[in-house]
Amino acid sequence: MIRCRPPSVFAALALLCLGVALGAYRPLTSLMSLHMLVQIPLLALAGVFTELAARRRRKTSADGASDAKRGPWSCNEYGVPGLLLASLIGTAWMIPKALDDALTDWRVAAFKYVGLPAAGWVLSASLRLAPAVIKLFFLGNFCWMAAIVGMLYLDQPVRLCNAYLLDDQDWAGRGLIALAIILPLGWLLTEIRPIWRFISR
Amino acid sequence: MRWALTLLLALLAGIGALYGLTDGFTVLTAESARRQEVALAPRDLQDARIIDGQGRVSSLHSELQADGRVAIVNFFYTRCISLCLAQGYVTQRLQAAIKAAGLDSHVRLLSISFDPRDRGPDLNRYASGMHADPAVWQFRAFEQPRQGAALLKQFGIIVVPAVLGDFEHNAALHVVTSDGRLARIVDIDEPGLALQVAKALSASRTASRLRDMRELRGLAAVGGSRKEEAQ
Repeated sequence: MIRCRPPSVFAALALLCLGVALGAYRPLTSLMSLHMLVQIPLLALAGVFTELAARRRRKTSADGASDAKRGPWSCNEYGVPGLLLASLIGTAWMIPKALDDALTDWRVAAFKYVGLPAAGWVLSASLRLAPAVIKLFFLGNFCWMAAIVGMLYLDQPVRLCNAYLLDDQDWAGRGLIALAIILPLGWLLTEIRPIWRFISR
Repeated sequence: MRWALTLLLALLAGIGALYGLTDGFTVLTAESARRQEVALAPRDLQDARIIDGQGRVSSLHSELQADGRVAIVNFFYTRCISLCLAQGYVTQRLQAAIKAAGLDSHVRLLSISFDPRDRGPDLNRYASGMHADPAVWQFRAFEQPRQGAALLKQFGIIVVPAVLGDFEHNAALHVVTSDGRLARIVDIDEPGLALQVAKALSASRTASRLRDMRELRGLAAVGGSRKEEAQ
C-alpha cells in the first residue's frame, strides 16, 4: 500500500506534522499529555515522513536500481545502530525533567525540535533494513518501558513536572500505557505476513 | 567494522543525551535538579520590591540585611486551599520549633505571595489565620508582578494557572542568608533539615563575624602597640 504512494504525499504529511507541532506550539505544550503524546510524536513522525519522501525520490531518480543496503545506510546493518539511537531518544523523552526543560532551557528545546525529526528519519531508515526479530526486540523494549513509565506517572501522588498539573500527569500516564498497547497491535497488523510465515513454519 | 563503529556512536549519542538530560544520571525531575543545583552552587538572588501587611514597600535585599537572621523562605498565595495549607502547617510547626529551641534570634520564616491579587490586608488575614508570631514569621508580597516573576524564576518556582483561579506551584523550603543568597532548598516534608541548615548557616556566619571582629581587634592592638613604640 505504502509503496505506491508518490513522494509528494509523504512530503505533504511531513510538512503537516511539522506545521502542527510548531504552529500549535502553545496549546500542545500547555498540557503534559499533549506535549508528550502529541507534539513529540508529531515531530518524530515529521522525520519519518521526510525520510519516506526522500527515499521515494531517490528511488525514482535512480530508477529503482540501488539496493537499500548499498546506499548511505550500509553502516546501519539490519538497522540496529539506528534503532538503538531512536529508542534511546524515545527513552529520553519519557524523563519528566526533559519535558520541563524543553519549556525553559533552549538547549533541550533545540534537542527536541532538531533531535526528534532526526530520530524519526533514522527510525524510518532503520526499520526498512531491520528483520522482524530485531524490530520485535526494539518495539518490545520501547513498549514495556512506556507502560512502566505510564504506570509510574499514574502512581505518583506528587507532580513530576513543575510545569504541569497532577491530573494531566495521570492522563500522560494513561496515554503511555495506551501507546504500549496500540503500537504493538499496529505493528502486528503491518507485519502480519512474515509473522504468519514464522508461526506456520 | 563500520557497523560496530556506528553502533558505538549511536550508543554514545543516546547515552550522552540521557546523561545531559538527567544531570549526569542524578535526577529525573526538574524539581530535584533545581535542589541539587542550589546545594552544589548557592545562588545570589536578585532584588525585588516587596510589600508587607501594612502596605509598606521595601526591597527584599535591604530587608534581609536589616533583619540579619537566616530566613527560611517559602512561596504561597492567600487564596490557596491545597498545597499552601500543607506548607503553612509545616511552617507553623517550624515556628513552634524555632521558638522552642530558642533560635528566634538566628532563624526566621518568610512567606512570600506570588499572587498579584494579594495585598497588605490579604497577608494580614492569612497571617492571623496561621497564628503567625510576627517576630518569627513574616508575610510579604511582590509590589510588581514582573519583578516577582524574575525572582521566582531564579528560585526555580514555576506557577501554573489551574481551574477556578487557583495556581499549582512547586513547594519547598528555601534557606536564604541575610546577604541575599539562596543556600539550600529542602523538601517541605523535611522542616527539621531546613532548620538544621539554617542554624548551621547562622552559626558559621556568626563565627566568621566573630573572627572578623577578632582580627579587627588584633589590628587595633597592633596599631596600638605601634603607637606605643612610636611614643
